[in-house]
Amino acid sequence: MTAIMPTTRLHLNKREITFLVPLYITGTVALISVLISLLFLRSGGVPGSADWIAGSQLNPGMAYALPGFLVYLGVQSVATTFPFALTLGSTRRSFVGGTLLWAVIASAYLTAIMTVLTLIELATDHWFSNFYIFDIAVLGAGDLTRLIPIVFLSTLSMLTIGGVFGASWIRFGGRGPQFIGVGLAIVIIVALIVILPAAPTIIAAFQVWWLAVLAAVVILLSSIGMWLILRTAIVR
Amino acid sequence: MTTAIDIRGVSRRFGRVTALDDVSIAMPEHSLVGLLGRNGAGKTTLMSIIAGQDRASEGRIAVLGHTPFEHGPTLRQIIYVRDNQRYPDDYRLHHVLRIAPAFAPNWDADVADELVDGLRIPAKTPLKKLSRGQLSSVAIVLGLASRAPVTLLDEPYLGLDVTARSLFHTILLREIAAQPRTIVLSTHLIEESASLLDRVVILDHGKVVVDDETEAARDSVVLLSGNTDAVDRVLSGRPVLESHTMGAMTSVTAAGAADDSLRALADELGVQVARATLQDLVSAHGAETPEPLELKKAIRV
Amino acid sequence: MLSGEGPIFLQLAQRVAEDIINGTYAEDAGIPSTHDFAIFYRMSPITSAKGITMLVDQGVLYKKRGIGMFVAPGAREHLLAERRAAFRQQHVAPLLHEAELLGIDRDELADMIKEKDPS
Repeated sequence: MTAIMPTTRLHLNKREITFLVPLYITGTVALISVLISLLFLRSGGVPGSADWIAGSQLNPGMAYALPGFLVYLGVQSVATTFPFALTLGSTRRSFVGGTLLWAVIASAYLTAIMTVLTLIELATDHWFSNFYIFDIAVLGAGDLTRLIPIVFLSTLSMLTIGGVFGASWIRFGGRGPQFIGVGLAIVIIVALIVILPAAPTIIAAFQVWWLAVLAAVVILLSSIGMWLILRTAIVR
Repeated sequence: MTTAIDIRGVSRRFGRVTALDDVSIAMPEHSLVGLLGRNGAGKTTLMSIIAGQDRASEGRIAVLGHTPFEHGPTLRQIIYVRDNQRYPDDYRLHHVLRIAPAFAPNWDADVADELVDGLRIPAKTPLKKLSRGQLSSVAIVLGLASRAPVTLLDEPYLGLDVTARSLFHTILLREIAAQPRTIVLSTHLIEESASLLDRVVILDHGKVVVDDETEAARDSVVLLSGNTDAVDRVLSGRPVLESHTMGAMTSVTAAGAADDSLRALADELGVQVARATLQDLVSAHGAETPEPLELKKAIRV
Repeated sequence: MLSGEGPIFLQLAQRVAEDIINGTYAEDAGIPSTHDFAIFYRMSPITSAKGITMLVDQGVLYKKRGIGMFVAPGAREHLLAERRAAFRQQHVAPLLHEAELLGIDRDELADMIKEKDPS
């Protein structure tokens, strides 16, 4: 623990990108959501009506806006930070540990922010104006028992996926991310080929918690992958 | 004297390229060692291995008694900023100054401040936009303020102006007096650092060609100049490392110390004998082996 | 910065000896530390210590434990005697040799030396 803390601090060193940029992005999405709601209003939508709520809750802005940034955050957490961490005297082992701890902290932070904002939105009856920004379908439609695992697990997955891509770039150069991308595509396609005949049954039996398990598996595999790739990586 | 850095039979291959070839060096504790040689001679690779950033293909290395690779307690005793150091995205100077103490147990903030002021490193500019000399300055701050028992300085002078180089020397010497440490310094500005170095290691094509105290290393060769025939007679079979010919005149850097018999013969034949500077020595060892003088004469005739 | 051809520790020893002869460092007075010399003349502390130790071994300097390095009593006289001895060999001998080559005899040479304003 004592060995990995400096690396975690190294990641938290750029406070703005870990703590503020997600807020900026969230704020921008919120602003756009409000504008879209106003558009609904102008086009004759009735605030608070069943149509209004259904339309607003389907707004996928959050799901589109954050992942790109989170994957980048994950990539840079390894690609440009690893060489500097080694220069400062970190071991590869504690670098990976510290990076994962940071990813957990960043995910927990974003989850807390989303939770608080959702609670405010619910408490103020959607900002006193029927604006549905956080009380939306992809974030569990106002259900905190769904929102918390959704935000936490998806943030952590994206950070660790980014991390494993960054690690492959450190280790194998430009071809690293390509190999992982192609490998991933092959695995997914093969999986689909196997699963597809049974698709109707699977879809019929689908449970939301499957996604949570899937995310957990992705996080685990990415973390292990990051360690395996970096444990013998050198800086050149 | 304790050995701080003990390198035994270390080779490093990248695919088919051999960057280090059976290198063995023992660097005494608290010495200031110059790591010299031409570009591509293997200096950076050697430093990377000492710092545990890279691993030898063969051989053993001990820094303060331990193999540095993945050994946390040893890595905390080493600072090595490479000449093309990468920093995290969007980094500015204050990021570096804020995080370095978390890794360097001996970090001295006063030394860091003094260097930042003296070297005039801009605080607001992203590191990515710094000039070559400013990046060297950041590396010097990390290298000296860490007060690491093993300090590796990779081309610390690159792009530095003359005032900055002088300041670097002053603070380096003051710092090692205040807190002795083992320093390895690679550079091409040899004359500028020659008087600082206790020992020199010269690499060429990945091999150690000189590893000695600076003064002894300078005495391992001799400079002769004069009439080509006379120089050839004075050489009497000594291996020539580097030679220049101009008309009937030749100057050579030859292996072996200048003993009394050589001086006597040179005096008799009117050949000048001079002591090699460190720069002469490094240049000679980096030169391609010259053809024997006899052959040159034959071609000329 | 010392810029002679010889070993640097030797150059430092010669420099300090010179400064004792010309009175920069008085007898029984303290001299700067090896660290100060290292920084002032741009050499590693190991090298400066080597040069200073040489003068201690010759009895020119002495150490006061915990205080520093001092010029030994009689050091100036000792150094001067050494220099005088060296003067014959280093300056007079080559002079005579060169004079002989040029066919200048001893009397003529003596006259040259005695001339008030040789040019």
